[in-house]
Amino acid sequence: MRAVLISIGIWGALCLALALLVAWGKPAPVIGMFVVSGMAVGSLYALGGIGLVVLYRATGVLNLASGAVGMASAMVAWQLVQWGIFALVSWILGLALGVLLAVAYCRVITPYMAWREPVVKAVASLGFALVILGTVSFLWPDDPRRFELPTDKAFVTILGLRVTATRLMVVAVSILAVIVISVVLVRTRIGLHMRALANDRRIASLIGIPVVRVETMAWAMAGLLSAFTGLMFANLVRLEPVVITFLIIPCIAAAIAGRLQSLPDVLIGGIAMGVIESLLTLSDPLKSIRPVAPFVIASVVLLVTNRGRRLTFAGED
Amino acid sequence: MKRTTLLSAGTLLASMMASGAFADTICGANTGEAATGAPIKVGGIHGNAAPGDFSSSTTAANAYFDCVNANGGINGRPIQYLVENDQWNPELAAQAAAKLLKDENVVAIVGNGSFVEMAVNAPTYKEQNIMAMASACAVSECFESSNIVSTNQGPLSSTVGAAQYMVEELAAQSIVCIGLAIPNVGNWSCGAMEEYMTSKGLTGASVLLNPASPDVNSSLLEAVASGSDTILVNLPAGLAIAFMKAAEEQGMVDSYKWASSTPLYDQSVPSAVGSAWDGKMYINAELTPWDKGGPDATNWLAVLDAHAPDAPRDTFSQSGFLSAKFFVDTLLKMDPAQLDDRAAVTTAIKAISGYTSDLMCGPYYVGEADRHMPNHAGTMVVVKNGGFETVRDCYEYDSPYFAPIFENEKALGLR
Amino acid sequence: MKVTGLLAAFAVIAVIGLLPTILGGQWIGIFISTTCFAFAAMGAGFMYSRLGMVSLAQVALMGLGGWVTLRLNHATDLPFEVNLLGGAVATAVLGMLLALPALRMRGLYLALVTLMVAGGLEVVFTAFQFPNGGAGFWGVGTSFSAPMRRPTIAPDDANYLRYCLAVLVLGFLLIEAHRRSAPGRAWALIRRSEAAALASGVNVTFYKTWAFGLSGLLAGAGGGLLAASLGLLDAATFRASESVLLFALVIVGGARFWYGAILTAFLYRVAPGLLNTWGVDADLALVFFGAALLHAVMTAPDGIAGQINDLLGKVRKEQTRDRA
Repeated sequence: MRAVLISIGIWGALCLALALLVAWGKPAPVIGMFVVSGMAVGSLYALGGIGLVVLYRATGVLNLASGAVGMASAMVAWQLVQWGIFALVSWILGLALGVLLAVAYCRVITPYMAWREPVVKAVASLGFALVILGTVSFLWPDDPRRFELPTDKAFVTILGLRVTATRLMVVAVSILAVIVISVVLVRTRIGLHMRALANDRRIASLIGIPVVRVETMAWAMAGLLSAFTGLMFANLVRLEPVVITFLIIPCIAAAIAGRLQSLPDVLIGGIAMGVIESLLTLSDPLKSIRPVAPFVIASVVLLVTNRGRRLTFAGED
Repeated sequence: MKRTTLLSAGTLLASMMASGAFADTICGANTGEAATGAPIKVGGIHGNAAPGDFSSSTTAANAYFDCVNANGGINGRPIQYLVENDQWNPELAAQAAAKLLKDENVVAIVGNGSFVEMAVNAPTYKEQNIMAMASACAVSECFESSNIVSTNQGPLSSTVGAAQYMVEELAAQSIVCIGLAIPNVGNWSCGAMEEYMTSKGLTGASVLLNPASPDVNSSLLEAVASGSDTILVNLPAGLAIAFMKAAEEQGMVDSYKWASSTPLYDQSVPSAVGSAWDGKMYINAELTPWDKGGPDATNWLAVLDAHAPDAPRDTFSQSGFLSAKFFVDTLLKMDPAQLDDRAAVTTAIKAISGYTSDLMCGPYYVGEADRHMPNHAGTMVVVKNGGFETVRDCYEYDSPYFAPIFENEKALGLR
Repeated sequence: MKVTGLLAAFAVIAVIGLLPTILGGQWIGIFISTTCFAFAAMGAGFMYSRLGMVSLAQVALMGLGGWVTLRLNHATDLPFEVNLLGGAVATAVLGMLLALPALRMRGLYLALVTLMVAGGLEVVFTAFQFPNGGAGFWGVGTSFSAPMRRPTIAPDDANYLRYCLAVLVLGFLLIEAHRRSAPGRAWALIRRSEAAALASGVNVTFYKTWAFGLSGLLAGAGGGLLAASLGLLDAATFRASESVLLFALVIVGGARFWYGAILTAFLYRVAPGLLNTWGVDADLALVFFGAALLHAVMTAPDGIAGQINDLLGKVRKEQTRDRA
C-alpha cells in the first residue's frame, strides 16, 4: 500500500509540475477540464497496459497482438449488434472471441517458441496481429462505424467536464483488475504456478507444475482483458481496425511505467501519461506532437529504474 | 489488389448481355457493338489498404470503360484499363506509376484516388508529359500540379464551401476548422478556410489533430477554447465520427453550429452518427447528391448496375465515372491515328474546356496551367431522417485562394 | 580464399551491372526500395547477432536519415553525396544517444526503449512530415514541393539502382572490416560476457556505443537513399509497427549470416511486390505475411539464411564423401 501511495505521489507531482509549466496563467477551470479529459484517455492506456503485464508476468510473453485481438472482438460484437442480435449477447460473444483467439495462439503457436528469448516471442506475436488485422480488413469494408454502449448516455460532471458511465466503467474495471489479479498472482496456487512458469518454464515443468493448463488459463485471462479493452477502445476511441490494433504501442508505454511488473504502477502511470498528454494541448509548440508524451515518459522511466546498474552481464535479462 | 482489366471473351459476352438488359446505358459512341481492335492502354492508381479504401473511383471508371468497349470503343478499339493499388505507400505509388508509364506505356492516367500517389508522382507525370485525370484527390499537390486535374474538389474547396454556407445562410461569425495535423492536408485546407473568414471580416481558427492520438477530447476542448460559434469538421469519416461522439458526450450538439467537408457525405454516416445529429450537421457535397437525377446521374447508376453491381455508389464513384466519361469524349474527338501517341493525348486533354455534366455544379476544363481545380462549386446537405436532405443547391465558392483559378477561367473564356 | 573473394567480387559486379537492365520500371523501383531497407536490416542484424542487442527503431532511424538528407538538400546546394553522408552521420549520432540506455539494459527492456523511440519519432514525423522545400526549420510548405536532387552520375532509375547497390556493398564491407578487426573481437567478448570483456581490458562502453552508431549510420544511409529515389518521404513509411516488422523479418531472414540482411529486405519489399503482381488482395497479403512470419519463427531457429547454410553444408559434405 505504501508503495502505491509513493507512486501516486511521484506521478501526481510530475503532472502538477507540468500543469504549472504549460498552463501558467490559464484559468483553473480550463486546466481542470484538461486533467479530467486526460484521465479518461490515460485510463485506456492503463487498461491496455494491465492486460500486457498480466500475461507477461504469468507467461513471459509480451503480446503485441493483444490490440488486434481486442479489435477483432469489437468488430464481431459490432457486427452482431448490426445483425439485430441482442446487445448483451453480442458483447459476450465478442469477449468470447477474444478468449478464443488468445487460447488458440497459446495452444498452437507458443509451444514452438517456448525456447526463444522474450524479445523474439514479443516480436513474433506481431505476426499474429497481422493475420488478424488482414482477415478483419478483408472481411469488413472500410466504412465509418460507431460502437455504442448504453452507458454512453449516463454521465456525471467532474470539474466542468461530462464523464460518461462508460469512462467510469473503464476506470472501475482497471482498478478491479489490478486488485483481483494482484491477489490471484500473490495469494492463490494458480497464481504461484503462473509466476513460477514465467520465471523458468523448464524448471516449472520439472517440479510438476501443469504447464499447459496454467499457461492456457493465463492466456484466457489476458484474452478476456484484451477483448474488453478492444470494446472500450471501439467505443471511446473509434472503431477502426488499424487504429485499435496499433494502440498497443502507447499501451506498452503504460506497461513500462509499471516496469512490466507492478500492476498498480501501470494504472497510476498510465493515467498520468494521459493527463500529461492532455495538458500538452495547452502548450502551443507541443500540442501537435502531444501523443509523444507516453513514449517520452516511458523512456525516462526505463532510464530511471535502471540507473543503479552500471553494466549488465550476459544472461541477466 | 490489382485488377488488370483485359477484355476477355467472357466479360465481353457478359457486358453485351448486360447492356441488353439495361438498355439505358449510354457509353461512348453507343453503337451496341463490341470493340475488337488493338486496345488503347490507360492506367489508374487507387489506394486500398488498411487505413481506407479509395478504390470506388477506379471501379466506376472501369465500369464505364467496360460499357464503352461493349459499345464500339474508341473508333472500334477497346480501352484496356490497368489499375494499380498503392496501398497508401509512397514506394508502391512510385512503382505503380513506373509500371504504367514505362512498362505498359499507357497514354493517360484516369480515375486516380489516393492520399499519397499524387504527391509522389506529380513530378513524374510532368516529366513524362502525361495527364492524370484524377477523381479522388485529397492533398495539395494534386491541385497544384501542371499534369494532374481532378474531378473532385478535395478538402480545401469543400471546407471553404461549407464555411461559406455557414456564413451566408446560418450567420456564422467565427468558425473553427478541425483538421488533420498533416501539412498538405489539414494545414492547407484549414488555412484556406481561415483566409476566407478573414477576407469576409470574420474570424477563423484551426485545431489540428495528430491522427496518431487516441484522444479527441482535448481537441474538442481546444475548439471550445477558440470561442467560435461554429465547428467545421474536416476529418476522414472515422475520425470525424469519433470527434462528433465526443461532442455529443459533452452535450455540445445544440450549443454550436456544425458543418463538415465531404468525407461525411457517405451513405453509412447518418446511421453511424445517430439521431442526435438529425438536422444539425451540415455537410458539403463535392459533386451533386446521388439522388438528384439528370441524364449523367441516371447513366452513372445504369452503368454501375450493368458492369459493377456490387460497387459502392458514392461521391468518388461519381467522380471516377465522370473522369472516365470526359476522357472518352476527348478520345472520340481525336484523330484516330494519334490515339497511341501519349503527347497527342496529353494535348487533347489539356484542350478540354467547358464540358458540363449534371453530376457537377460547374463546367469541367483543363487548360495549360500550373494548377487545376475545375470543380469549385458544390451542394450543401444536412443529415435528416437517417439520410441527407439538400439545403442549398449548386453554389460557387468564393475565397482568395481561387483567384489564380478564376484567372485561368477568364483566359479560357469560361468566366 | 583469394579465389572465392575474387569470384564474389565478380558476382557482385555482375549483379550491379546486369540487374537493372533485365528489370522493368516497376521492378527497378521495388529493388531500389529493397536495397534501401537492406541497410536497416543489416544494422539490426549485426547488432542482434554480434551483441545480442535488439533495435526496434531501425525503420524510424531510416526516417531520421531521410529527414536530414531532405533538409540538407532543400537548405543547401551541396551534392547528393554530402547530404547523404550528413543524414547518415546525424542518424549515427542519435544511434549513439540510444546506446546510453543500452549500457545498462539488455534483452526485452532495451528493445522496448528503442520501441519507445520509434513510437515517438512516428508522432513527430506525422505532425511535421518531411521537408519539401518550404521555409523554416521543419522546411515543409503546404503548397509545393521542390525537387530532390539525385546523384549526378545516376539521374535515372536504372542507374540509381546500381548506385544504391554499390553503396550497399560499401556498407557490407564496412561491417566486414569491423568484424575482422578490433571492434569485432571486442563485440565477441562482450557477447560472451561483459565481465570477461571488462576484465580483459575491453572498453565495453565505447564498443557498445560504437555498434549503435554504426547501425544508425547504415539506417540513416538507407533513409537518405530512399528519399532520393522517391523525391519525398511520407510518415506512413516509418511507423513504429514497421520497425517491429523489420526486426521480425531480420529473425526470419537469419541474422547470423551476411546474406540474411538481403533475405530480410527481400521479404520486406520484394515479397509484397510479388503478391501484388500476382493479384493477391492487399489484406490477404497481410494475412499470408503474418502467417509466414509465425511459421518461420516457429520452425527455423537461424532463419532462412540458416536453412540455406545447412543445405549448403549438406551438399559440401556429400561432395567430400563422393570424393573419398
